[in-house]
Amino acid sequence: MRRELDLGLLVAVAMLVTFGVTMVYSASGSDVWRSQGLYAVISVFVAVAIVYVPEKLFYDLAYPLYGLGMLSLVVVLVWGTGNPARWLAIGSLRLQPAEFAKIATIMAIARFLGDQSSERVSGPRAIVLAVLLAVLPMGLVARQPDLGTAVSFGAALIPMLYWAGMRPLHVFFLTAPMLSVVFSFEPLWQDQAPIVFALFIILSSVIIQLLLARLWVTLTLLGVNLSAGLVTTYLWANFLRGYQKARIMTFLNPESDALGSGWNIIQSKIAIGSGGPTGKGFLQGTQSKYEFLPAAHTDFIFSVIGEELGFVGSIFVLSLFLFVIWRCLYVGTVANNRFASLLAVGLGSMLAFHVFVNVGMTIGVMPVTGLPLPFLSYGGSSLLTNCLAVGLLLHIYAHRHEY
Amino acid sequence: MDPEVLEDWARKLRGLMTLAGLLFAILLLRLFHLQITTADDYAKESEDNRITQKRLKAPRGLILDRDGEVIARNRAAYSIQLIRGSRESDAQAIAALEEATGESVKLGKRGRERTVRLKRDVSFPTVAIVEERLRDEWPLDVEIEPQRFYPFGALTSHLIGYLGEKQDDLTGPGGRPYIAGDYVGQTGLERVYEDSLRGWDGVGYLEVDVRERVIKEHPFPDRERAPRPGRDLKLTIDVDIQLAAVNALPDSLAGSVVALDARNGAILALVSHPSFDPNVFVSYGSQAERQRLIQDPRKPMLNRGIQGGYPPGSTLKMIASVAALESGVTDTLSTFAACAGSLQVGDVVFRCLNRDGHGELNLLEATEVSCNIYFNHLAQILGIEAWHDYAARFGFGAPTGVDLEPSELSGILPDRRYHQERDGWVTGHLMNLVIGQGAMLVTPLQMARYVAALGNGGYLVTPHLQGDAPPPVRIEGVSDATLDIVRRSMYRVVYGDHGTGKRAQIEGILLAGKSGTAQGPRADDDAWFVSFAPYDEPEIAVAILIEGGGGGGTHAAPVARAVMEAYFLDQARHGAMAVDLDGRHRGGS
Ligand SMILES: [Zn+2]
Repeated sequence: MRRELDLGLLVAVAMLVTFGVTMVYSASGSDVWRSQGLYAVISVFVAVAIVYVPEKLFYDLAYPLYGLGMLSLVVVLVWGTGNPARWLAIGSLRLQPAEFAKIATIMAIARFLGDQSSERVSGPRAIVLAVLLAVLPMGLVARQPDLGTAVSFGAALIPMLYWAGMRPLHVFFLTAPMLSVVFSFEPLWQDQAPIVFALFIILSSVIIQLLLARLWVTLTLLGVNLSAGLVTTYLWANFLRGYQKARIMTFLNPESDALGSGWNIIQSKIAIGSGGPTGKGFLQGTQSKYEFLPAAHTDFIFSVIGEELGFVGSIFVLSLFLFVIWRCLYVGTVANNRFASLLAVGLGSMLAFHVFVNVGMTIGVMPVTGLPLPFLSYGGSSLLTNCLAVGLLLHIYAHRHEY
Repeated sequence: MDPEVLEDWARKLRGLMTLAGLLFAILLLRLFHLQITTADDYAKESEDNRITQKRLKAPRGLILDRDGEVIARNRAAYSIQLIRGSRESDAQAIAALEEATGESVKLGKRGRERTVRLKRDVSFPTVAIVEERLRDEWPLDVEIEPQRFYPFGALTSHLIGYLGEKQDDLTGPGGRPYIAGDYVGQTGLERVYEDSLRGWDGVGYLEVDVRERVIKEHPFPDRERAPRPGRDLKLTIDVDIQLAAVNALPDSLAGSVVALDARNGAILALVSHPSFDPNVFVSYGSQAERQRLIQDPRKPMLNRGIQGGYPPGSTLKMIASVAALESGVTDTLSTFAACAGSLQVGDVVFRCLNRDGHGELNLLEATEVSCNIYFNHLAQILGIEAWHDYAARFGFGAPTGVDLEPSELSGILPDRRYHQERDGWVTGHLMNLVIGQGAMLVTPLQMARYVAALGNGGYLVTPHLQGDAPPPVRIEGVSDATLDIVRRSMYRVVYGDHGTGKRAQIEGILLAGKSGTAQGPRADDDAWFVSFAPYDEPEIAVAILIEGGGGGGTHAAPVARAVMEAYFLDQARHGAMAVDLDGRHRGGS
C-alpha cells in the first residue's frame, strides 16, 4: 500500500532534528551527541513507521493510552528518579512519562471532542468534561513539580476547544481569567508583573470590544480579569509566609536558581546578544564552551544557536518552527474526520507553546520553566515524543483521502 | 468531509496562524533587539565573562645593609581562593576545605569580586591538599603572591618596622591603588619609604571558564603590563655591628644602642631591646602573637633609641664643661672648692658618688672621676641661660630629624620658664640638670649625636639610615680649643688612673667616652655610656643605655666596647672601603 508522505513536514522536521544533534555536539563538548543522534534516527524512523499503522487504531487506543499515561504519571510520583523526580528508570533507560502523557492526553481530548458535534461543544457539559480530561494530567505533572509542562496541557486544550466548535467569546472568557492569574503572578515576572498584567488587561479588553462592540461584555471581562489578577496578587503578598513563597518559587522553577537570581537568563541573553548578526561561528561560542551558560545542551540550546550562528541562525530556526506549526494546523484542515483534525491541531498547539515558551525564556520575555525546545534540546524522551507527534501528523496526512 | 466544515477549519487555521504569527513576531523583535541593536553591549559582557583581569602584584624592594646583606626580602606565599558561585556552593566548598585541612575557615563579607581569599599564607601541606584533592571537585584554587620576609627577624625590627594589612581599597600616591588585603608599611623604614618600596603593580589577562579555570594564558599580550618591583633600599646599617650590640646587651634588661658614623651621621646600628619578630605581622594566623606583642608590659614594640626618653645622668656633664669653658667660668687648670662628698644649697643636699669627697679637682679630673660636686659648683656660677643655650646647640630638646619615624621623641630640655611654669625656679634645678638629672630627658639617638659632635670637632650631624648624608653643621660659639679640652677630659674617663670608663678600652684603638648612672623612674639606676673612636679622628660615635642597668662604667661601657670592636673588625675586613667621606670637617679636631 503506497502512502503519500507530507514531504514538507518531514523534511523540515528532519532538518530541525539534524540541526539539533549538531548543536548538542557543539553545546555539550562531550559524547552526549551520539546518544542524541541515535535517538534521532530511531525517532524519525518511528515517525515514518507510524504512517503505516491502520487508520482506526489511534482512535481506538486513545482512551486506553490516556489511562496508561495517567498511571505512569502516578507511578513517577511514587517511584520517580532525579531531582525533581520526573523520570522512570527501566533498566538503563530513563523515560519521562509526562512527555508521553502529553500525546495520550491530546489523543483522548481529540477523541472526546471529535465524538461531539460542533453544536454540543458549544454547550457547558462537553467543555467541562474536556477540561477535566486536561486537568487530571495537569495536576499530576504539577505535583512533580513541573509547572511548565502542566501549563502546556492547557495550551493544547484551548485551541482544540476552539477548533471543535466552542464559541470564540466563550474561549475568551475561559482563557482570560487563567491568563490574568499567570500574568499577575509576581514570582514569574518579578518587578515587571504590574506592566505585564496591565498590558494584558488593556489588550484583552480592546480585542473583545473590537470583536463584539458590546460594552457590557467588555466590562464583564475586564471585571473578571481584574479580580482574578488582584486576588492573585493579594494572596501572594498577604497570605503566604517566606518559606511558603520559597516553596512556590521552587515549584515554579526548580532548576533556575542554581547560581543566584537570574543567572541563567543573564547568561543566556549575553550568549544570544553577543552572537550579533552572524554569530561567533560554529563551535566558537564562549558562553557555552566555558560553561557560563548552564544547561546549554538542554533547556538553553537556543542560546547556543543564537551565540554561534547569530541573528541569521535564530531566524532560520524560528522560520523552520513556524513552518512546522503551520503544517501541523494545515494537516488539521485536510483530515478526513474530526478526531484526526483535532489531534493535528492539539499537537501543533502543543509544539507552538513549547517553542514560544522555550525561546521566550532564553531571550528573557518568558519566565524560566524548564520546558525543552522541541527537536533541538538534548533528551531522548522529548525527541521521541515530538517525533511520535510528527508521525501522527504524517499518518493523518497520508490517510486524508480515506473513508 | 463536509465542505462547510472544511471551510470552517480553514477559517480557524487563519485565526490560529495569526495568533502564532503574533507570538513569533514578539520573539523576532526581541531577537532583533538583542542581536542587532544591542549586540555590542552583550559582546562586551561576554568578553568580561571570559577575560579576567589579574593584578600582578609588584614585589617590594629589598632592604640591604651597607655591605649588601639582605635585611628584608620577599618569599612566595600561597593563598587558598574560592571562586564564588551561589551561597550554597560557596558553603559546600568551604566545608570541603575545612574537612580536608581540619582547620576552620571564615568567609569574609561578600563583595563584587569573583574570587575571594579564604586562607592566606598557608602551609605547604595545605597547598598540596588543595592542588591534588580539592581543586578539581570544588571551586577552589591556589594563588601565589610575594610576601615580605625578614631573615634577621628581631635583630632589625625597630629599624625596618613592620607591615600591616589594608582594610579597605583606596588610592595611594601617584594613583597607585591599594586593595584591601595589601600589606602596607606601618612603622619604621617600611612606612617611611613605602612609596618607593612598594613598586608598581602590573596587569595581566587570562581567559577563564565559569569556574575561573584558565583556558588560555595571555589572550591579549599587547594589553598586558609587567609589574615593576619596588626600589631597593640600601641602608647605612651594618648587621654585624647591630648583632654585636644585641649580643652585648644584657638579655634580661631593656636597653638601646645607637652607633653613628661620627663624621656624617650615618646610623651604623640602632638597637632597641627587647625586640620582636616583624615576620609575625605578615604571616597569616599570627594574630595571637601580634596581640601578645602589643600588650607585653616590656614594650618590645617601642623603639627605645628614638622613642625612649631618659635622664642622661653624668654623660651630659660635657655640656656644662663646654658652656663653662666658652663663658670663661673656668679653664683646664683651675680648681673649685674641694668636693667633700656632699653640698648643701638651702635645705637641699647634693651628694657626690664618692661619699668621702674627691677633694680639689680641675675640669679634667672632675670629668675623669665624674664628680658631681664639681659640676654643682660650676652650675652655680654658670647660670641656667648659658647652660641651656649650649645644650640646645648640641641638639637636645629637639628631634634629630632621623628618616625613620615621624614619632621621634624630642626629649625635654628644661629652661627657667619650664620650671617657673611648674614648680618655680631655684638654682637647685640647674645643679640637677648639669649632672643629667631633674627634668632632663634625652633619647639615646640624641646622645649619640651629641657625643659625635664632641668628637668630630663640633659638627652636628643629622642621623640618617640611607642615602646621601645631609651636610653636618658646625655648632656656633664652640671653639676648637674648648672642644680639645673636653675631648681630653673624656680621654681620661677611659684611660685615667681613676677613670670610670676603663672597661670601654679596646686594644689598638684610642677612644674617649663618658659614663653615666642616672636615677630614673625605676628602682635601679639606668646605665649610660657614650663614646667616640678613634680618639684622633673619630669614625664612630656610640650611645649605650641599659634601663636599670646600674653603674654606667661597669655595665654600659663594655657594651660600647663590643660595638666599637665590631665596627673596627668590619672596617679591617673591608680594608680599602674606608672612603674619606668627610673631608670637609675632618681637620676640625
Ligand atoms: Zn666629688
